[in-house]
Order: sequence, then structure tokens, then C-alpha cells
Amino acid sequence: MEVGIVEVKLWLQKLNRKLQQEKEHLTDLDQAIGDGDHGLNMARGFKEVSIKIENTDYETLGALLKDTGMTLLTKVGGASGPLYGTAFLKAATSIGDKSSVTLTDLSEALEAALEGIKARGKANLLDKTMIDVWEPVIHYMKENRESIDWDEVIRLSNEKMEATKELEARKGRAAYLGKRSIGHIDPGAASSNYFFVELADVLKGVIKE
Amino acid sequence: MNYVGVVLLSHSYDLVKGLEALLKQIQPDVPLSVAGGTESGEIGTDVFQIKKAIESVMNPKGVVILFDLGSALINAELAIEMLGNNKDIRLADAPLVEGAYAAIIQSGCGSSIEEVIKAAEGAKALNKL
Amino acid sequence: MMEQEITVTIKDGLHARPAADLVKKLGTVSSAVQLYSGQKEYNPKSIISLMSGTIKEGETIRVVVTGSDEEETMAWLNDFFAGKTS
Repeated sequence: MEVGIVEVKLWLQKLNRKLQQEKEHLTDLDQAIGDGDHGLNMARGFKEVSIKIENTDYETLGALLKDTGMTLLTKVGGASGPLYGTAFLKAATSIGDKSSVTLTDLSEALEAALEGIKARGKANLLDKTMIDVWEPVIHYMKENRESIDWDEVIRLSNEKMEATKELEARKGRAAYLGKRSIGHIDPGAASSNYFFVELADVLKGVIKE
Repeated sequence: MNYVGVVLLSHSYDLVKGLEALLKQIQPDVPLSVAGGTESGEIGTDVFQIKKAIESVMNPKGVVILFDLGSALINAELAIEMLGNNKDIRLADAPLVEGAYAAIIQSGCGSSIEEVIKAAEGAKALNKL
Repeated sequence: MMEQEITVTIKDGLHARPAADLVKKLGTVSSAVQLYSGQKEYNPKSIISLMSGTIKEGETIRVVVTGSDEEETMAWLNDFFAGKTS
């Protein structure tokens, strides 16, 4: 199976719609343990991404992902801007000039993105961050190469997001709360869950066609 | 004479503009620039604005960046990376107001980047009462 | 070693701008300088040390200068605290 520019554009547009719908929910999560701007920041950033990519014709996936990353860097005020921005830029470098990729290539690009997030945020697994969703999902995708079960991706992503509830934050604003951060889903893990669920939804559809 | 450049970085543009005015009055000779808020003027930090601020005070003695919190650090590190991880661009682990005040005065003495960082970071242990 | 009591007549005391001038000047002298104001001791070559307190106009401080250029330094400090430099 190949993932091309049409699929990636569709994914980013769907992700944008989801983030607009869930803006309040992400804000609520962030108000509990952060500074309350995650929903607004993500909604603003991806709205700009949506406008940018809708009006641009791309020859390569690298160029599409790079534009997405640069837009997020510029338009998102909080920590999520440089983190998601770096992720898309690393994925763009990994994919380069290709106009479509295999699932194995896609998993590798997402792994490069994850490494970028880890380096930028200096966080690791179980710190109660977006990494708690990214790392296990990408691990699953890499193991299953071309035969990824997208329903399993959705299930796993949801499960790992829910699991951040029980963790004590060690990074970001939530770390100031220490044990009081327990009992709340990490907002970055929640937006990351949308990231993977929307990707899975699009790629599930592609298989059916 | 060259002075170590100083960059003030905050989530709020008004905050760093105010601090800049204060510091300019004390030490007008030191190259000083600010980055604050997002491109659209909201609360936040913008990596491209930070990069521009660093470039505007870049000089052979180096540049020290003082920042407020959180994403300011992440974006400052990203900006330094975009500038090729130049070793003469350094972050000071210091409170923004007192650290910038110490840094600007130390820089105004013609001190090295190490001495300017040391002065800024010394503000962490400052007892004001 | 030279020791002297000096009354500060800088207008509004040793606020930010004169403190900056003091640190800058003393950075160029080789003598060690200590200031004593009440219970507090300051190293006026360190801006952080000066930021840790306030020296007010009209206050008398004890100044200790030790080193090869102590005479010129003490003379300069007398002028400085009288508000006569720069």
C-alpha cells in the first residue's frame, strides 16, 4: 500500500476539523494541569495549515510536510508549536522528494518525528506527555510494516492516551503540580491521539477503495 | 568596543518592551533586542522572531538569551539550532528581570560571554531583602 | 590597605545607573574593594552583590581598598560617591 499526497492532505484536513471540534475539550484538559492554551493553539495552528495546503499544489510529500511544520512553528504560540512543528519537519526530511511512500516508509518518518519531539522536549516515555501516545503507536506500526491493522492503531492510541491519566507529570507546566497531575489526561497525549486516529481513519478508507 | 549582545525573550511583547526600556536607560551601549508574543500579537513565543532578534545583536563576543518560561526555552533552542548551533549564542538560566539587569551591566563592562552568563545566573541566588 | 568612611551624596543613592558605572569602573582596577553599609558587606565589582541591597543618599559607608592601585581607586571612589564622576 502506498500513501500519497492526496491521503496526507486529507489526513491533515480531517485532523484540522477534529481539532476545531475538540478545541474546548483540549482547553479543558489543559486548564486542569497546564496553562489552558493547548486547544486554542492547536486549533489556530492547524487552521492555518489547512488554509495553506488547500491552496497549494505539492509535487512531493516532503514539501507538503515541510509547509505544515513551518506553519505550525509560526502560528502556534505554546510549546506545541515547536514540538509538532519539529515533528513534521523531521518527517519531511525523512520522506524527502517522494510523492508517495510505503507504510514502512511512513512509520520510519513518524519515528524520525518522534525522535525530534523527544530531543526538542527533552522528555521520555511515562513523563505524561505526547510521547506516551507516539512511542507505543509507532512501535506497533514499525513492527507490522506493510500489514498495519488501523483499528488496532486507533485502539492502542486511545488506550495509551487514557493511560496518561494515571501518570505523574515530569515535563512541562504540569510538572509543577507533581502528584496533583494524576487523574487528568495529558492534553498533548489527547491531541496526539487525534493525530493518529485521523491518520488511521484516512488510511483505513484507502484500503477499502 | 564590542559588547556581548543580549536578547530578552518572553511570552509577552509588552513585558520585554518594558524591560528593554528600563535596561536601555541603564546601559545604552550594549546591543539589546527583544522577542515576545506570537506573530499575531498573542501571548506566546515565535521561533522566527527569536531568530531575528538573535541575528540583530549577533557579534564576535557572542549573544546571551534570557527567557521567561516553558515554550520560550523550546523555541529559543530551536532558533539556536536554525542558526547552526553557533557556540557563541548561549542561554542564561536566570530570572528574566534581575538576570537581564545583571547581564546588561556586566556586558557593558566589556566582559566575556562567560562572565555575562555568570552575572545573569548569579541573580538566581539574589536575596533582595 | 586603605580604609575610609565616605558619605554618599549621589542623588537618590546608588541606584541602577550609578551601580552600573561603579561595576564598570572597578572592573578596570586591580585592587580589591569592599563596601560596608550597616551589617551588609558588598563586593562592588559584582553587580549581583550590589543588587542585594540599597545604599541610600546621605548614608555613610565604610570603604576598604587593598592593592597596588589603592590610592587612585580610593580617590576615584570619593569622587564617585560624591556624585562627581561622569
